[in-house]
Amino acid sequence: MSSDQDHLKETDTEARFEFKKEERSAVKSDKGLTEEVVRLISEDKDEPEWMLERRLRALKQYQAMPMPTDWPGQPDLTELDIEEIVPYIRPDVDKREGVDDWTELPEEIKDTFDKLGIPEAEKNALSGVGAQYESEVVYQNMQEQWEEKGVVFMNMDRAVQEHPELVKEYFMTTCVPPSDNKFAALHGAVWSGGSFVYVPEDVTVEMPVQAYFRMNSEGMGQFEHTLIVAEEGSEVHYIEGCSAPKYGTHNLHSGCVEVFVEEDAHVQYSTVQNWSKNTFNLNTKRAIVESNGKMEWVSGSMGSKATMLYPCTILKGRGATDTHITIAFAGEGQNIDTGAKVYHNAPDTSSTIESKSISKDGGRTNYRGLVHIADGAEGSSTAVECDALMFDNESTSDTMPYMEIEESKVDVAHEATVGKIGDEDIFYLQSRGLDDDDAKKMIVAGFIEPITEELPIEYAVELNRLIELEMEGSLG
Amino acid sequence: MSTQVHANLTEEQVREISGNLDEPDWLLETRLEALEALETIDMPDVIRTPGRDWTNLHELDFETLVDPLNWAEEKDQVGPDDVEVLPWGEAVAEHEELLKEHFGSIVDPQENYLTALSTALFSTGTVIYVPEGVDAEDVTIRTEMNSRSLFNYTLVVTEESSSVTILERQSTGSDAVDGEKYYSAIVEVIAGENSSVQYGSLQNLSEDSYSFSCKRGDADTYATIDWIEGNIGTQLTKSEVSTELNGDGSETQIVGAFFGHDEQHFDLDVKVWHRAEHTTADLVTRGVTDDTARSVYEGVQDVGRDAWDTSSYQRENTLMLSDESEADASPKLIINNHDTEASHSATVGQIDQEDLLYMTSRGVSPRLARNMLVEGFFVPVMEEIAVDEFREDLEELIQQRLRG
Repeated sequence: MSSDQDHLKETDTEARFEFKKEERSAVKSDKGLTEEVVRLISEDKDEPEWMLERRLRALKQYQAMPMPTDWPGQPDLTELDIEEIVPYIRPDVDKREGVDDWTELPEEIKDTFDKLGIPEAEKNALSGVGAQYESEVVYQNMQEQWEEKGVVFMNMDRAVQEHPELVKEYFMTTCVPPSDNKFAALHGAVWSGGSFVYVPEDVTVEMPVQAYFRMNSEGMGQFEHTLIVAEEGSEVHYIEGCSAPKYGTHNLHSGCVEVFVEEDAHVQYSTVQNWSKNTFNLNTKRAIVESNGKMEWVSGSMGSKATMLYPCTILKGRGATDTHITIAFAGEGQNIDTGAKVYHNAPDTSSTIESKSISKDGGRTNYRGLVHIADGAEGSSTAVECDALMFDNESTSDTMPYMEIEESKVDVAHEATVGKIGDEDIFYLQSRGLDDDDAKKMIVAGFIEPITEELPIEYAVELNRLIELEMEGSLG
Repeated sequence: MSTQVHANLTEEQVREISGNLDEPDWLLETRLEALEALETIDMPDVIRTPGRDWTNLHELDFETLVDPLNWAEEKDQVGPDDVEVLPWGEAVAEHEELLKEHFGSIVDPQENYLTALSTALFSTGTVIYVPEGVDAEDVTIRTEMNSRSLFNYTLVVTEESSSVTILERQSTGSDAVDGEKYYSAIVEVIAGENSSVQYGSLQNLSEDSYSFSCKRGDADTYATIDWIEGNIGTQLTKSEVSTELNGDGSETQIVGAFFGHDEQHFDLDVKVWHRAEHTTADLVTRGVTDDTARSVYEGVQDVGRDAWDTSSYQRENTLMLSDESEADASPKLIINNHDTEASHSATVGQIDQEDLLYMTSRGVSPRLARNMLVEGFFVPVMEEIAVDEFREDLEELIQQRLRG
C-alpha cells in the first residue's frame, strides 16, 4: 500500500488530468456524421462488409430518431452539435492492434498514461490492461496465465477480425440494438476501439482487468465499444477509467457496453468517470444475466459537463441477481443525470440499487431509475435506496424512480432521502480539532463509503482523492 | 389528438350553461376561452417509460361520454350556520367579488385538456366561505350523479384564523342513465393566514364511470391544508391532490387510500410544492389492487429555491392481492434548497404468507384471514384520518369490497 500512496501523492494534482498533448493523428475524419465518415472509419479499419452494413443501418436509425429533450430535469443537449464533432481520430502509432510494451509507444502517449498511473497500476493490481488514446487502443496486455486459460482480452477492432462469429452474434444485437436510443444508434455508426473480453467456462480472473480511455484532442468524439462475454461459472471484474483535458469547445463521449453473464457467472463492471467539464457523456450500458448469474455495476461519475447514463440489467434467468452502486458528484455547471434500470423477467431474481449523489456550487444531480417486474417473475425482490447530499442553495437534486410491478409475489422497496450536511456533525468534528473543510471532507468520505468499499483499494483511494479535489477551495 | 370531443361542443352550449346560472360576463369569457383552448392543449401528463404509457387517456371516448346540457344529480350541501355553504348559482349572485378573486387562481383553467373541459362545461358546484375566526365542523357535500356526464366545481375560502372540516362524497344514483359515464371535478382551496382546512373526499362512483379530478390548495402563512382522498369506484380515475405551500410556516398532509378490483385503473398524483420557509408536508398513501386492477401512483415533493428549512415526507405502499393486477409507483423528489429534510419511500408486496399461515392455523378461514390482513394493512392510513365519519365510511366500503 505504501508504494501506491507514494505514487498517488506524486500525481494527485489537477494537472494529472489537465495536461494536453499536441495532436498527432494518422487518420482524422471530417467533422460531422455522414455516410462518407462512416465508410472512412470502416475502410480505415479494413472491416468486413457485414460490419459496414451494420454501421450504415445504425446511421439511418440515428438520422430518423429525435434528440431526447422532454425528460424532466434532463441535461440541456442543445449546445451539443454533432455536426461539429470529429468522430474519428486514429492515433499515429506503428502497430495498429496495440503494443504490449509501454516503451514501444510514442513518447507523448506513453507519458500520458504514465501521468495517469496506468503502467504502475498494471504492475500492482491488474490482470490485464488496455489503453485507448483518441479512437483506438494503443496498448493491450494481459498476464500470460489468463491467456493460457483461454481468456480473451483484446481491443474491439481486432475482435471483429479475429472472432467474427462471436462478434456477429453479440455485437449490438440482443443486448443494445442501435434502435435502443439515439446515442446508441450514433455509437453503432461510428464506434471505434474499446475492449472485447471473453472468459471461458469456470475460469475466475482473480485480479481485475482495466481499460483506460483518454481523449486528447479538442472537439472529438470517442465511441468505444465494450463487449464482455462471461461463460457459465466464470468470474471477471472489469474496470474502466476515463479522462480528458479541458477545452473550450465540446467533446462527446458516447460509449456502449454490452455484458453477457451466463449461468452462474459473475461480472463486476466498475467505472471511474472523470471526463473534463466540456464533455457530454451519453452512454448506454446493459447486461443480460442468465440463471443464478450475478451482475454488479459500480459507477463513480465525477466529470463531464453533462452525463446521461442508466446502466441496465436484464435478469433473464431464474435466480439471477443485480447490484447497482452509483455515486454522482456535480459541481458548478454540471448536470449528472444517472441512475439504474433493472428488468426482472424471471422468477426468484433480485436487485439492489444504491445511489449516492452530492451537488454543490450550482451543480445538479438527478437519479432516474426504473425497476420493472414482469408478470410471472414470482419470488423476485428489489430494494432501491437513494441518498442525496446538498452543499448549498444554488444546487439541485432530483430523485425520479419508476416502479412497474406486474407480479404480486414480490418484495419491492424504494427509499430516498435528501439533506444537507448536518451542522451538528460538523460541530462535533470541529470540537475534536478538525477545521471546517476537513470536517466536511470527512463527512462526505463517510457518505460515499458504501461505494468506495466495493472498489479495489487503488480505485477507492483515487475516488476519494477526486472528490477531495472537487471540494478543495469551494468550502467555507 | 384522437379525442375530438370539442368538435361536438358549441359556444351556444357553454353560453346556455353560463346563462342558466346567471353568470357575469367575465365568467362566461373564462369558460369560452377554455372551450377555445381545447383545440390546442394536451391531455394531463401521464408517466411514460420505454414502451409503456402508465395511463392512456387518449383511448377514452369523450365524444359519447360528454353530454353537457343533460346533466342530472342529487346534491346535499350542508353546513353550520356561521359558515356559508352555497350552491354555485347562489354564490354567483351573492359573492361575485370572491369568485372573481379566486376562481381559477390555483388550478389554471387551461392547464390541460381536462381542466379546460371542466371549466367550460361545469354546471354545478359548491362555494364554502368561512369568515375570520370561525371554527366550523361538519360541512358535507354529497353528489349523486345521474347523467351521462357531470362537471362539478368546488371553491373553499377560509379567512384568517378560521377552520373548517369538509366531507365530500361522490356516488352514482340508482336512477342514473345506463352505460359509461364521465365525472369531472375541480376543487380549489384558498386557506388564509393561520387557517386550517381539512378536506375529505370519498369517491365511490359506479364502475362504468370515468373520473377526472384535480384538487389543489394554496396555503398562506401558518395555514394548514389536510386532504384525505379515498378512491373506490370508477373504471378509470385520473386524480390529482396537491398543495402549494406559499406561506411561511404552512403545512399540509395528504392521506390517500384506494382499493381497485376487476379492471379498475387508478392514476393518482399526490403533489406538494414548498414555496416558502419552514413548511412541512406529509404524504401517506396506501392501496390494494385485486383481480386485474392497475394502480399508478406519482408522488412529487418539489422544494423551491427559497424554501428554507423544509421538512417533507412521503410514503406509499401497495398490496397486491392478485397476480394479474399491476402496481406502478413513482415517488419523486425535486430539491432546489439544501436546507431541507426530505425522504420518500414506496413498497409493493403481497400478503405475508407467514401471517396468513399463522391465522389459518388458528382456525380462521383463509378468506377471513385475508380480509383481516387487508383491513390491517389500511390501519396506518385510517389512523391519520381525523374525521370519524369519513373513516367509518371508508372502512365500510373496504369491507364491502372484501366481502364482495
